[in-house]
Amino acid sequence: MLPISYGTAIIVFCIGLYTILSKRNLFKTVIGLSLMEGGVLMLITSSGYVPGGVPALLPFAGGEPVNPLPHSFTLTAIVIGAADVALALAFIIKIHRRYGTVDIDKIRGLRG
Amino acid sequence: MKSPRNLQRLGALALSLALGWWLWQGVTISPFQGITGPAARYIHGTARDTGAANVVAAILFDYRGFDTLGEASVIYTTVCGVALLFAKRRYRRSSHGLSFIVKRSMALLVPFILLYASSIIVMGHLSPGGGFQGGSVMATVTILFCVIYGSSFEAARVSPKVKETIESSGALLFVLIGLVGLVTGGAFLTNIAAGFPRGTMGQLFSGGTIPLLNIAVGMKVGAGLSTLFYSMVKILEDPTESSPPEV
Repeated sequence: MLPISYGTAIIVFCIGLYTILSKRNLFKTVIGLSLMEGGVLMLITSSGYVPGGVPALLPFAGGEPVNPLPHSFTLTAIVIGAADVALALAFIIKIHRRYGTVDIDKIRGLRG
Repeated sequence: MKSPRNLQRLGALALSLALGWWLWQGVTISPFQGITGPAARYIHGTARDTGAANVVAAILFDYRGFDTLGEASVIYTTVCGVALLFAKRRYRRSSHGLSFIVKRSMALLVPFILLYASSIIVMGHLSPGGGFQGGSVMATVTILFCVIYGSSFEAARVSPKVKETIESSGALLFVLIGLVGLVTGGAFLTNIAAGFPRGTMGQLFSGGTIPLLNIAVGMKVGAGLSTLFYSMVKILEDPTESSPPEV
């Protein structure tokens, strides 16, 4: 089961990378960034998997708990990712006000 | 124009596929040998050291509480940045919101969303959840206000000044609780060793500072996210560009 989980994380990460590389729309770039972040978070969370583990809530009913450390790291990363996306969107709104477009090529063309 | 564009796309696809294949080759699953390192200490020491039932909450707000303070300041910095970017222009008008049915349904839902959010925050040390998650749910209320009633209604009901005050006081509460540890001769954010009651594990009043820190972070995240959304929406709803649809 674990290889499927890792594979999903890798696929999501690569979809995000492709989105960033191929799309010219800045909003789609931000979507790609979020997808890449989601892939990394999936990888971190699945690395804490324990075969037959129970949730890390005391008392551990019916077995050994999963590793709680990746969960808390993931929480930190989610918050930072949300902050990232918010700031990126704010900049894109500013760019749209200034140039009237969110296409990178057109913005480059405007400014030489 | 068409051909270089397709070439670029093909190159991006090839690069993504190559990277994915490379990462997939690096996946090795070693047989499970038991949790080692700091995680083992956290799992076995949570009941003794903190009295909280949720190990993740204990790690976030006790063992690595200072880390969480930094994490909360990331949100604070973002709110400051976005507010700074959109500081100059202020628009009085906003959209008129959605239809009467949607507005009434929202009014019925608000108390339940708020109750759910506060239960996530307050029970953060007992069940999955905590300040960050509950704060986000609480922020959805004001975001829904913006969408359904229009941003000026939202600003009239929950003033941006009040939200800023709530956010700052959440940060201040977090730091003050941390300073108690310093006053009693321990480290910053000391929990049980600084004399906070451990309580009975599984009860609402247990876990020393963890519920208090959860509430502080919940105030901070809830007010911060709602300020973020409002700052962006007030700039988007520019009446000079397109008049809002009348309902």
